[in-house]
Amino acid sequence: MTPDLLAARLAGIVGQEHVLAQERCAQYAVDGKAPTAAVFPATVEEISKVMRLASSERLSVVPWGSGTKISFGGIPERVDLLVGLARFNRVIEHEPADLTVTIQGGALLREVQAYLGQRGQFLPLDPPLAARATIGGILATNASGPRRLLYGAARDLLIGLRVVHADGTATRGGAKVVKNVSGYDMPKLYIGSLGTLGIIVEATFRIYPLPAVERTWVASFPDGEGASSAVAEMLAAPIVPSSLELLSSPAAQSVARLAGLSLPQGHVALASSVGSVAEAVDAQLGQIKRISERNGAGGGFLLEGDAQERFRTAISEFMPGERNGRVGAVLKASVVISKVLEAVRRGEEIARAVGLQSFAICEAGSGIVRLHWTNNAGEPGVAVEVMAKAIEALRDSIVREGGNLVVMSAPPALKAAVDVWGPVGKALPLMQELKQQFDPHRILNPGRFVGGI
Amino acid sequence: MDKSKIVDELAAIVGREWVISDADELIVYECDGMTYLDKAVPDVVVLPDTTEQVAAVVKVCDREGLAVVPRGAGTGLSGGALPLKGGVMIGLNRMNRILEIDLPNQRAVVEPGLVNIALTQAVRDHGYFFAPDPASQTASSIGGNVAENAGGPHCLKYGATTMHILGLELVLSSGEIVQVGGKTLDVPGYDLTGLFVGSEGTFGICTKVIVRLVRQPEAVQTLLASFRGIEEASEVVSTIIAAGIIPSALELMDRHIIRALEEWLHIGYHEGAGAVLLIELDGPAAEIAAQARGIEGICRTQGVLDLRNAKDDQERALLWKGRKGAAAAVGRITHEYYLQDGVVPRTKLPYVLREIEAIGRRYDFLIANVFHAGDGNLHPLICFDSRREGELQRAIAAGAEIMKLCLSVGGSITGEHGIGMEKIDFMPLMYSPDDLDAMRKVRNAFDRTQRCNPGKLLPTSKSCVETSVAYRPHRIEREGLAQRY
Repeated sequence: MTPDLLAARLAGIVGQEHVLAQERCAQYAVDGKAPTAAVFPATVEEISKVMRLASSERLSVVPWGSGTKISFGGIPERVDLLVGLARFNRVIEHEPADLTVTIQGGALLREVQAYLGQRGQFLPLDPPLAARATIGGILATNASGPRRLLYGAARDLLIGLRVVHADGTATRGGAKVVKNVSGYDMPKLYIGSLGTLGIIVEATFRIYPLPAVERTWVASFPDGEGASSAVAEMLAAPIVPSSLELLSSPAAQSVARLAGLSLPQGHVALASSVGSVAEAVDAQLGQIKRISERNGAGGGFLLEGDAQERFRTAISEFMPGERNGRVGAVLKASVVISKVLEAVRRGEEIARAVGLQSFAICEAGSGIVRLHWTNNAGEPGVAVEVMAKAIEALRDSIVREGGNLVVMSAPPALKAAVDVWGPVGKALPLMQELKQQFDPHRILNPGRFVGGI
Repeated sequence: MDKSKIVDELAAIVGREWVISDADELIVYECDGMTYLDKAVPDVVVLPDTTEQVAAVVKVCDREGLAVVPRGAGTGLSGGALPLKGGVMIGLNRMNRILEIDLPNQRAVVEPGLVNIALTQAVRDHGYFFAPDPASQTASSIGGNVAENAGGPHCLKYGATTMHILGLELVLSSGEIVQVGGKTLDVPGYDLTGLFVGSEGTFGICTKVIVRLVRQPEAVQTLLASFRGIEEASEVVSTIIAAGIIPSALELMDRHIIRALEEWLHIGYHEGAGAVLLIELDGPAAEIAAQARGIEGICRTQGVLDLRNAKDDQERALLWKGRKGAAAAVGRITHEYYLQDGVVPRTKLPYVLREIEAIGRRYDFLIANVFHAGDGNLHPLICFDSRREGELQRAIAAGAEIMKLCLSVGGSITGEHGIGMEKIDFMPLMYSPDDLDAMRKVRNAFDRTQRCNPGKLLPTSKSCVETSVAYRPHRIEREGLAQRY
């Protein structure tokens, strides 16, 4: 099918004004590959029709929310058609007294939070780049953030969803009740599937009341050991922090600058948040301070309100690699909780050895270590092969300890030189079979998922 | 097949004493906790001791084309462990070891046959617990909890089993051993662990389970609020949730249950109580104190007759003894009962409970209610006497109406007991043919042979009905209450 004919067929489904063709699609390139056309449907029926067309013409499809995580995953084999969810941006059903909400896949998390906030509620998802992320994109990438410690991630919050599959079939999974074991737990299938099984058009979540008071204690430690043993002690104590963020010293400096705080040079930071009624927040932060001091904390800041918000935004928007024209990669290691510091250290050593700087932001209570590797300011970038080798070396040491490491974001040349996902072992054939069942012609995001799925 | 040859082969794998093939002994395995379905006996029961033995047994089944039905403690309430097509039942009771407890990382690795409560007992003194607490927890196995995605009173706060399972070792229908998930979060790839939990044995057999251990709360407070009737109590449930208070448990018992319990266990329920709420709060002391004040305020403005605060662990245990003994107490006021399981949005509870009472009147059954009110998970007990002609059928029909009622308000046909065999014909009422096809695709990906626990969870697709020799219309189907797809 010629590009013009494709655009015309799409216009026939959604209307001329919701189709972009050829050079107008350049902004939607995935790893440098621009689609032939971009289409922005407004209804499930329209998406179904678009997918039926794509399926019969064997066009590869990239589902697109807002593009904040489009650099995630392997380089796509082909990019023919982009299906944008920008017009799927409504809250469909919100029953405040049931603490559930149903939202369209293209809705911006920020707008959902503003809407729920008016009723004193929120969806406890706080992924990186939260200000621009969409609901569908967060689910497809299984993006999570600091508050996962208390509230869980997408798999703990999503109770129902609606998906359009490669052949245009629209299905629902789960329900809008918080407890449900009728049939397979279909919502789990699509979380983190990176759009390779279907397009998430609607999602139902359990939501939570906003805590009456929320405060963050940012303690600085002269070394990582102190911060790390403080985390272990806090987790073993009957306190319930909503997040425990450990920042390596360069990351701490960078975040502090953005948040308007001043931390001693060379110190690591541990930010512990507690949300509850005021008495409970104060009592727990008191314990957190005592534990921090016992483990060598040199002082800290108590944040709430706007200052706390600025601090959170600085973490959510943390992108040292994108400033000052630096290039680099964002890595996410998942390790057992007690190995967080080791992963940070290892990341720093390996990066330093090849002339890179490593910034670590860790969800210390969940074992998630986010590493931003960049070249040092003013120095030339590091060769792709060297960087790829460094990533593999770090991955090896993390996998040896039972963890995993994925490349969240990197320039296409680097992605071409490294397996962004790493090994998935003997489970891969099962995953390939799932893909085969749902998308036998491999039109959805081909090549971007694990093992070349 | 030559049964004796296969029995010999299985005996060579697990040892002669761990193979059961005598008709008399097989009777034990003819049903699980759901006793109102047609019974079925397996051809052979095997009790392996290791993953390798499970894999070897499954390979024999694969070669011989035999059904494989896993079984834990057999406490399931939807007929999930019913060997509908005979075949080989794999009892996992001997695989009951705790392989690893890793407190700093909040993980344990256990075998599937481990009894649920045994894990909490093993870590309790260190300040941790395993959160899923189905009523069967002193008997049911963790492997069974995984298969059914078991719930329990405290999953209101802590979530159902799936939230506590991070990784599994599986034996697939080919006999291949595969690890999914792990001790860490976010293992790359599709969430096979999440899909397996609740798959009711239809994907294969899990032989190791990596679970999350949860830190014990600083404080616990248990309240018993008495109300005139079930409607007032259920309104209070709705108000508590709407106020943003999420107790760790929020259980409702109606007047039938209260009366039966009081005669038996002498809990000391308020005399005029037509319904009670058992409310448990846990967490930091200052937080639950504030929550308790909030709940007290709500109860007072909504007509509470009496609000009792358990003053010590002993009284707390007594109040829970009542809740946990509720179903057994009902056995004292009726010859038997049919326990249903459905879920509704919490705001719909008052309406749904009124309707359930109306269904009881229409069918002339006493329907008692004791349930996880906080998450809208109903457990109506339909009291009947199967010695009377047609009563079992009527009880099942009344249960079907309750299911439809739950669906009519946007709810679910099961919150924790599973589909199994019992509810297979309700699946098309909750899901479209396309929704069910999506589930079939997942099943095909895990077990193309369909020999893992055949006939469970998913209704046979329309096109398969003609070719399915074993097909017989289910009771509720014959009565026109459900349609098979």
